Amino acid sequence: MLARVAADLYWMGRYIERTEHTARLLKYQLTGLVDSPADELALGWQVIYRALGQSPPMAPADVDEAEAFMMADAYTLAGSLVEDHTNPDSMVTCWGMARENATQLRPQLPLEVWTTLNRGFLWIRDCDFPGAWKKRPATLVSEGIDRLRLLAGVVEATMSRDNTWRFMQLGRFVERFQHQTNLLCTWDQLGAPAGADPSLSWSDLLRVCVAFELYCRRQGMTAERDIVLEFLIRDPEVPRSLRFAVQRIEQMLVGIDPLGSRHPLVPPRRVALRLAATVEAATGLVPDGERTEAADNRIADRLFAQLAGDGRRLHDLLVAEYVDYPVSEGLPS
Amino acid sequence: MMAATTATPTDPAMGNTGSRAGDGGAASESAVVAGSGAFADYALDPRFHDELFRGDGRPRDACQRLSEALNRFPAEELVKLQEGVYRRFLHEGITFTVLGADEVSEHIIPIDCVPRLITAAEWDHIESGLKQRLTAINLFLRDIYSEGRSLREGVVPADLVLGCPQYRVEMRGVKVPHDIYVAVGGTDIVRTDTGFAVLEDNVRVPSGVSYMLACRAATKRSVPGLYREHGVREVAEYPRRLYSTLASLSSSTTRPRVAILTPGRYNSAYYEHAFLAGEMGVDLVEGRDLVVHNATLYARTASGLRRIDVLYRRIDDDFVDPVTFRRDSVLGAPGLFHAYRAGNVVLANAPGTGVADDKAVYAYLPRIIRYFLNEEPILANVDTHLCREPEGLAFTLDNLRDLVVKEVGGSGGYGMLVGPHSTTREREEFATRLRDNPTNYISQPVLPLSRAGCFVDGSLQPRHVDLRPFTLHGADGQNVVPGGLCRVALREGSLVVNSSQGGGCKDLWVLRS
Repeated sequence: MLARVAADLYWMGRYIERTEHTARLLKYQLTGLVDSPADELALGWQVIYRALGQSPPMAPADVDEAEAFMMADAYTLAGSLVEDHTNPDSMVTCWGMARENATQLRPQLPLEVWTTLNRGFLWIRDCDFPGAWKKRPATLVSEGIDRLRLLAGVVEATMSRDNTWRFMQLGRFVERFQHQTNLLCTWDQLGAPAGADPSLSWSDLLRVCVAFELYCRRQGMTAERDIVLEFLIRDPEVPRSLRFAVQRIEQMLVGIDPLGSRHPLVPPRRVALRLAATVEAATGLVPDGERTEAADNRIADRLFAQLAGDGRRLHDLLVAEYVDYPVSEGLPS
Repeated sequence: MMAATTATPTDPAMGNTGSRAGDGGAASESAVVAGSGAFADYALDPRFHDELFRGDGRPRDACQRLSEALNRFPAEELVKLQEGVYRRFLHEGITFTVLGADEVSEHIIPIDCVPRLITAAEWDHIESGLKQRLTAINLFLRDIYSEGRSLREGVVPADLVLGCPQYRVEMRGVKVPHDIYVAVGGTDIVRTDTGFAVLEDNVRVPSGVSYMLACRAATKRSVPGLYREHGVREVAEYPRRLYSTLASLSSSTTRPRVAILTPGRYNSAYYEHAFLAGEMGVDLVEGRDLVVHNATLYARTASGLRRIDVLYRRIDDDFVDPVTFRRDSVLGAPGLFHAYRAGNVVLANAPGTGVADDKAVYAYLPRIIRYFLNEEPILANVDTHLCREPEGLAFTLDNLRDLVVKEVGGSGGYGMLVGPHSTTREREEFATRLRDNPTNYISQPVLPLSRAGCFVDGSLQPRHVDLRPFTLHGADGQNVVPGGLCRVALREGSLVVNSSQGGGCKDLWVLRS
């Protein structure tokens, strides 16, 4: 497989995952527009924007972050994340980027995958956002999610499990790992400070991560910080847990470079193994005997910072190993 | 295929199918008449050969079944068919890219859902003519890049060939595998009242074959019963035959590694490049994917550099190698021509083939065929006046109003003057250009291109058409795909069929018998 093709597949997977992630966060927020108080909504927007690494659009320079979201209107905040072509992380931009990657991949992709992706892009490109906003704001985002899940299903059903599929999945799960890490970290920092008003509930985080039902079956109806965080970090059966993403990353890397095909462990695999070890060991979010809020936060912040750093390093190593390697290293022996 | 054997509820082949008429054989007279029924807007013009109807307004023998089916077909169903084809092309991304000043836009080539029919006898004639022509072109190219016998003996003026911008002096003395310079040719053929004639030979990077296949897929889905009953020859084999042709050029003892070189995503023919790569199961590479090391061509893969044996390049000579040709090119690979000269990679088509589709050299093709093959040309040329010759220039200047004037290296319908449709000012400007640089132009009469039935603006109407069949020439022989890109001038009265100038295309059905 051409190195450029591997990069396009990887990025296509990332952009599709990014679009879906943004859409899920938005769906949660837009659904709450009906009955949530203004200060809670503002906090929700703050969590979403910070988790996505973005600043509120057109925010005055002299106000702090929380105040900016109190001042901003929901239409502008949602529109920036859905239909703003100038926002590199908006849904329409990311969908378009995934399509651009897919255009470069036409010979590799089944026609069904291309067609489903393309139809989705044409839909969001041509959708009437102001019109949809007047009727049911959450419906537009929900349809986007449906189309993205249809695409995921078509990918599953039509693509051979070769490196074409592996590089796409690799992008998808690297993106998921990074975004989920940011989301958990942000929610922990902003969403529910003890005794704060307003606050976002931990069960809402589970719903955003499509993990609420499984959590209830496993842990009961009470959603507590420590248990929810550990659940979303360590449970291998929750599709949006960090452990689930890391396991998939490992699987893809093993498939791309079976042991023995090159040097024993390529650098990205080393980092993936380290990530797996970190996630598996992440049981000590609450230190025994000395539980205080400050201690909790210090440990969680350190963990998330380490995971975020390793996630970025993993991406860099993947590009260096499979795409941008020096020609001298690629020559046949 | 399922689609070819199952009639849809809207398929005109369902219900009364009428009588089957042979090609030229006696058949029961059809009730269909041009100018009535569904063909009420179909006005025959005695100046133009009509592909569907005879001069008396009755369908041609081979077209009886088609015309009867169209006559029964409700116009609103045809509208739905056209819309369905458009939607499918849009969703499947069967588009061509247009680069504007500020933006890139994707366009869908208009498809007309009414097929054009060619009888088996007509196709036999075309096929043998194309094979003859491509054989002669390859011999001619070998000669001009080696001994130059035909130039010395005045078959073609030496100054015309050696002064041609497409003549690549770098190709002199290069051992071309199997002496096949042109492995893929696309020849523009028109039909006039005197029969078929070649309008242009495209032997650099001919395009359009993907639209031929897309049109075929569209008609098979739209009118499967009609398609089945006509006994149409299949074109779906083209990608396999193309791969076989390309692979045959390699001297590799193992399965040769073939790749297609594309200028990239923003090239107008990118869809075709991607389509062919996908169908053949080969890599679609860009210049940035290629590395030349020790006069050997490699592609950068995710697991290191992998050698390429055959490169089907879809970029012009100028851009193949910045070391040898245009220095500012980023589309090719530095050192690629060196690897080619060393015999370590095959380029298809070979650099320098553009001499043979120069519009001035075209005028000499009949002489080239006679000289190299000692045969009479099977397919006629169109009368061509060379403005490089004083008589040709004078004739052209005196008759600008009635002629088509073309640049010798032009393509895509650009840089030409269609005399009858031009203004006085345009003719004056062209006359100045002709006097300033006569060698750059040829002129031809305005051809009365044949017309075929099309569904335009809600009714069946005749429109001018041409035909571009594709010929493959490998070490394992020649192959002409039984079909081609049938281009249509969709604007009423227009003779320009290029997609860049408002043209569309339609499926071409070559009948088995």
